[in-house]
Amino acid sequence: MKTYETSPSFAVAKKSRVPLAKIDTQGAETTRKTGRVIGTSARRPVQSSTFSSAL
Amino acid sequence: MTGPLVPFREIVLKVHSRCDLACDHCYIYEHADQSWRTRPKSISDEAISWAARRLAEHASEHTLESVSVILHGGEPLLAGPARLRRVCEELSSALNGIAELDLRIHTNGVQLSPRYLDLFDEFGVRVGISLDGDRAANDRHRLFADGRTSHPLVLRAVDLLRQDRYRHLNLGLLCTIDVRNDPAAVFDALVALDPPAVDFLLPHATWDEPPPRPDGSATAYADWLLAVFDRWTERGRPVPVRLFSSVLSTLSGGPSLTESLGLAPTDLVVIETDGQLEQVDSLKSAYDGAAATGFDVFRNTFDEVAAHPGVRARQLGLAGVSETCRTCPVVRSCGGGLYTHRYRTGDGFDNPSVYCDDLAALVRGVEERAAASLGSPAVAGPDALTAAELELNRHLLALLQDELGGHGHTGWDAAWELANEAERTERGAEALDEVLAGPYARTWLLDASRAAGSGDRGVTDRAARHLAASVAAASVRGRLGLTVPVPTEDGGGFFLPTLGEVRTGWRGPVLVRDTDEGLLVRPEDRGAGAERLIATGPADRPGWLPLRRVGGDGAPVLVLDDLDPRRDCFDGPVAARLTPAGVRTWDARLSAAWALLRAAVPGQAAEAARALTTVTPLVSGPTRAGRHGHGALGLGDEDGAGELALALLRGHRRATFRALAGVTDLYASDGAWEHRLPWGGPEAVPFSRLFAETFERVGAGLLEPRLLDGVPRALASIESAAELTVDGARVLARLRKETAGGARGASG
Repeated sequence: MKTYETSPSFAVAKKSRVPLAKIDTQGAETTRKTGRVIGTSARRPVQSSTFSSAL
Repeated sequence: MTGPLVPFREIVLKVHSRCDLACDHCYIYEHADQSWRTRPKSISDEAISWAARRLAEHASEHTLESVSVILHGGEPLLAGPARLRRVCEELSSALNGIAELDLRIHTNGVQLSPRYLDLFDEFGVRVGISLDGDRAANDRHRLFADGRTSHPLVLRAVDLLRQDRYRHLNLGLLCTIDVRNDPAAVFDALVALDPPAVDFLLPHATWDEPPPRPDGSATAYADWLLAVFDRWTERGRPVPVRLFSSVLSTLSGGPSLTESLGLAPTDLVVIETDGQLEQVDSLKSAYDGAAATGFDVFRNTFDEVAAHPGVRARQLGLAGVSETCRTCPVVRSCGGGLYTHRYRTGDGFDNPSVYCDDLAALVRGVEERAAASLGSPAVAGPDALTAAELELNRHLLALLQDELGGHGHTGWDAAWELANEAERTERGAEALDEVLAGPYARTWLLDASRAAGSGDRGVTDRAARHLAASVAAASVRGRLGLTVPVPTEDGGGFFLPTLGEVRTGWRGPVLVRDTDEGLLVRPEDRGAGAERLIATGPADRPGWLPLRRVGGDGAPVLVLDDLDPRRDCFDGPVAARLTPAGVRTWDARLSAAWALLRAAVPGQAAEAARALTTVTPLVSGPTRAGRHGHGALGLGDEDGAGELALALLRGHRRATFRALAGVTDLYASDGAWEHRLPWGGPEAVPFSRLFAETFERVGAGLLEPRLLDGVPRALASIESAAELTVDGARVLARLRKETAGGARGASG
């Protein structure tokens, strides 16, 4: 029952594919990735200090 | 000074104002401000209580998720364990239930012992230590008043922190640069101590008191740091270095990670041992009283300090740097440098940094060294872009599950579980990916993401319907045999993305299962006897309308999508389902246009063929890209193959640029600077528009050379713009390569 022909190439994606349920939705990478299209801005990670005279 | 008030997320609490070392490069004691002489040695009980109260009220008013408190000095350990315990108890108690408390202490390490570390373990206080490198480097400055070295004591402290029982408290090492030290030796000495993080600090200086430059070089500090960068790279980047991470982040379009660099507004306030609220204390290097605000924790709220002109001046981003800096291409990364380093008697802080040449050389040097390892693979070509777009859709779906899942919406929960089940086999994962990569998947994912959290049940209903239909489509594509509950659309049917529409006339949820013979469909509330077999295939059948294909014979085979309810995402209405004759007409028009493209611009035609999967006829207007993912175009009403070929190429370029900008940062701080379009009117446009139009014109100009007029000027503007990131620069390089052949004769 093949009713389709066109399918994009996912060779690049396959290498690093993480199952949906295991995607780290709280991580900075997800925030940055999705923020570009849903309008949330990239912020520095919570709990990273910017004070130059300390870490 | 305008703009919303920026709440403080980082509080530097001075718990002791004296130090047991006498470092000659210390900004507290050795520079312009001498206010330490009149401060209480230790913070008082009253100041501790008020500081905790003010912080809790600030976190509550601004609904801050987390606040960091850095215990600092002088030397904070001199406050003693009892005082430090009191500080930790008061802060923990005040913030309990309001915001997460991230407690840190920064020490010279001399006094650090298990007595302190057990206390820090109890309250989760993480510890950073100052160390300037190997013994020779450290002994240049970090000495006791009688000239004795502190180095062995600091190493002992670091050893303690590396023990298993305290390792989780270890924040790392902070090193102040002295360019007379061997950079590689300093770095190696720090790395030998296995710190979880390192940072390098430029010695505080101003235009009045410039930093030492023993060999006279204007870039001595950049050269030193770049030598460390090279060593860091050579050794496989064994430890994060905050300064480098910040430059790498801003080069890629991300935020700066230290107040020393970047345009991010400051969210930092200092509480002195006497309860006075001060601006960032490196200002003490500028002039006596430079950090003072006149406020204190007893009488004033943090909001009052946040509104202080001195604090606001460091929250203005681009507007807060000097005029010279505002037009500099590296300003996004350097941010004009640390505020203190801009000071000059007479004109205050309205100057570039006294480290300006160093900062520019550092940013450019890091960019040269690291550009190849930065950025997204999506810029490499159509396949990588398609993969990145799929990953974006999958992340949007996972975020939706966070918002909508587990809240009693059985339709969404069931569809999510089935999506997870589909992924358990390679074939299922591939089939689900094929569906989620469809260009119109983005439409519902974005609509649902933007509306999620509104509490509107209709949002979840629509999202659940789309997800269920996507899983059912994946089951068909992968022959997974899943039984999927799918809510029907108002007309009593449902659309299987990338495949076609099932029309049964049944209202309400149906159960859908793919078999070798076709789709078995029945209403969810009826038994197996009600099941109907729907033969799906490339031709219209009772209950089945397939998506049809156009193209072939030299043109790409494309889905002609005139069914997907989510295809209505162009700035104009989409056409209703075409008659077979209408499909044949489009097939012929596209084939003719593609033949022209292949003959005139074979490279562009081949790239477009790899990227395009779907076309959707529109009622009127030009062929264009919509707000969907990569790979689709709306077909307009161009006359003749030549016009359509050009429109296809322009649409493809526009869709590609939009897709690239959706998966990576081609630019940052868009809108902060004004640009002019060489082919447009006098009005200013943001960088994004200049870049997008140039991208489109370069691609289409290969077919229609008049579009290349002005492109060389546009490329030059893009190249010198501060907004450009490393990925933006890669796209620019591609445009230059494309124009190298096609732009000959074009006027700039």
